[in-house]
Amino acid sequence: MLEPFQLPFVQRALVELLLLAVLAGTLGCWIVLRGLAFPAHAAAAAAFPGLVLADGLGFAAPLGGFGAALLFALAVGRLAARERSGHDTLTALVLVAALAAGIVLASDVFHSAASVESLLFGSLLAIGPGDVRLAAAAALVVLAATWVLGARWLAAGFDPSAARALGVRSPLPDTLLLVLVALGAVAVLSAVGALLATALLVVPAATTRLFSDRVVPWQLATVVLAAAEGTFGVWLAVKLNAPPGATIAVIAGAVFALVAAGRALAPRATEATA
Amino acid sequence: MTPVLATVAHALADPFSQRIMRRALAEVLLLAAVGGTLGCWVVLGGLSYGAESLAHGMFPGLVLAALAGVPLLLGGAAGILVAALAIVLAGRVGRDRIGRDDAVAVAVTTLFGLGALLALSPATPLGIQGLLFGDVLGTSAADLLAGAALVALVLLALWAGHWRLLAAGFDRGGARALGVAPLATDAALLTLLALAVLVAVQGLGNLLVVAVLVAPAAAARLLTRRFAPMMALAVVLGAVAGIGGLYLSYYVRVAAGASIAGLLVAAYLLARIVAAASQIRKSSGAVAS
Amino acid sequence: MTALLEAGGLAVGYGGPPVLTDVSFRLEPGERIAVLGPNGGGKTTLFRALLGELGPSTGTLSVSGRCASVPQTERSRLDFPVSALDVALMGTIPGRPWWRRPSRADRAAARAALARVDLADRAERTYGELSGGQRQRVLIARALVQDAGVLLLDEPFTGLDATSAARLEALLAELAGEGRGVLIATHDLEQARRWDRVLCVNGRQVAFGEPDEVLTPEALAATYGGAIVTLPPTHPDPTAPHRVILPPHHHHHGPAR
Repeated sequence: MLEPFQLPFVQRALVELLLLAVLAGTLGCWIVLRGLAFPAHAAAAAAFPGLVLADGLGFAAPLGGFGAALLFALAVGRLAARERSGHDTLTALVLVAALAAGIVLASDVFHSAASVESLLFGSLLAIGPGDVRLAAAAALVVLAATWVLGARWLAAGFDPSAARALGVRSPLPDTLLLVLVALGAVAVLSAVGALLATALLVVPAATTRLFSDRVVPWQLATVVLAAAEGTFGVWLAVKLNAPPGATIAVIAGAVFALVAAGRALAPRATEATA
Repeated sequence: MTPVLATVAHALADPFSQRIMRRALAEVLLLAAVGGTLGCWVVLGGLSYGAESLAHGMFPGLVLAALAGVPLLLGGAAGILVAALAIVLAGRVGRDRIGRDDAVAVAVTTLFGLGALLALSPATPLGIQGLLFGDVLGTSAADLLAGAALVALVLLALWAGHWRLLAAGFDRGGARALGVAPLATDAALLTLLALAVLVAVQGLGNLLVVAVLVAPAAAARLLTRRFAPMMALAVVLGAVAGIGGLYLSYYVRVAAGASIAGLLVAAYLLARIVAAASQIRKSSGAVAS
Repeated sequence: MTALLEAGGLAVGYGGPPVLTDVSFRLEPGERIAVLGPNGGGKTTLFRALLGELGPSTGTLSVSGRCASVPQTERSRLDFPVSALDVALMGTIPGRPWWRRPSRADRAAARAALARVDLADRAERTYGELSGGQRQRVLIARALVQDAGVLLLDEPFTGLDATSAARLEALLAELAGEGRGVLIATHDLEQARRWDRVLCVNGRQVAFGEPDEVLTPEALAATYGGAIVTLPPTHPDPTAPHRVILPPHHHHHGPAR
């Protein structure tokens, strides 16, 4: 039963996932707290044409991805200050154009159509040491940033209008958060792909939010949950010969549904005991 | 002059000598008709996030239909029903702790992942690019017939229900006094939206379909001030982008669905620029006078 | 003479405990009733109950004839691609099967209503481009097209300049003169003094009756809570009436989440 864990590529995948779990736990909670799910999705999906271009032109893929992702996160995130979900016509349409550009580049310009699926849904079992290093770096940066800026991100999220009135709100911490969202989106790309980034960055944090009332316990719970979901997902994917990124996404969603159902059916039992 | 005209005319007509292209043209016109009209309600009613969520969430339905060899329309319909249910449930669950939109994102990502799981698992993985990015050139006569029927239904419903939709959209609270129940009009619009997504997903695929539902109407809204011109312009923009996309695919050998989507977005960006420019001109004109 | 509206012991809620209780009043044809109360005190809830949006939790409510709503104009979409005529035409919706287009008679009625409120020349203008006072009158035209016996106006005088306010008052007096009943939510006590009845609500009905009976410091204190400031008399004569001032209210709309 445990044979999958003896395979070297599985072991590498697990290391990657544990690092990404740290990311999912810290950054993911900020994303959910500040309502940045759509910007996170947009940043990751926007990376798709960047990756295809980088691949085709022969330079480091993460760079191409990060550039596009950053552009998107900043653009969308700024709008999120005004609109509730950060989803508005312009960004939604530009995102569609980015995806269209990506597929055109892949099919008709660089003829790399074969890699489209792994770019869109991840190739967790084929990651290299570069991907692991990127995940480690991203996790470290996010941890450090949380240490320094966490209180501010919390305050701004709690009452944006009051923060502004008190003159506390400098745009820098929030902008930095968006940069980190872009970084996180790119870091998870190799694992879950451009279209399933929210499976790691949003779903576990959303799940644990259902029973957490304080930020730090919430983040810890999310790291544990994300690690567990990732491990189980990889194991199941190897056993079933299924794509690992998608498997993790489905497991994460199923856990969310179970927790949500449990909360709805037995509210007192699942009350937070912060 | 005549030889130039003749060459241009030839270039314009040439693609449509093939039946595939003629069918694609019919499909594109259907998309423009439904996207331009219903799109006005999507844009005015703030339904674009809902439209996108439905389109992404229906993916497993499409995959199952393709795996089972069943018409895409049936799989799509089942997929949309499940997606709609998941979205409604997620919205309710999430509201107090996560925010409705983020809860919807969770549901949509999970469904989308399920579709990928189903598509990429079998020994001979499915060609999902057609499902994701559309397959306009693969439109069959049956697809056209079914599509035309659904589009006709949507157009009829929009025409008949226009004043009630208008009353509920304009003043939700006061609509009751006019005998219009906002919940009923909401439900009607969402149903029509689901039908439109079902039709359009064949040609544009589930990632790009939101373009035809949002871009033409959003562009038209920036350039018109009344409903009827807005709808008319939206349909025209949709048709122009669609036909342009077909020409691109024929002459430049670029994916048709992606070209159409790209041109739709380009039309919107152009409209934004034109609208902004006329604003600037208006305000500077006022200052000058 | 049957009352246009009659409420007896009415209580209304949104699914939980009632947020407005003990409402008992009558609206006779030709009457203008001022509805006073703090924000969140139940004025809007009362209007929604009268329009049939909310059902009574307890008590009775009988409405003879049509109620039309004239909301604050910000509640309607200022960015909708509709003209003033289109908005007035919405008033014809109840009178025909839902699939029918507006008839020529409908259009004539809408234009006549706009003429009645002095906006005949603005019929083709985009609704959102009109001034606050003009938008208010378009919504009244819509109510006239409905031929409603009862008009419910939610703070129609907010943001209007003196001329527009005077014009609106005159229009309301005309409408009452025709035998319609008008309920006006307002914060202006002087205005309320000029009308036929005053209804004070704050979670419950505090008072209902003639202005002189109702507009007492005690009733107002009960209605507005501690939000009343009483100034010492400025006149050297100590028997001169105290001025009663209400501090300005703020509409606070919290985040929708």
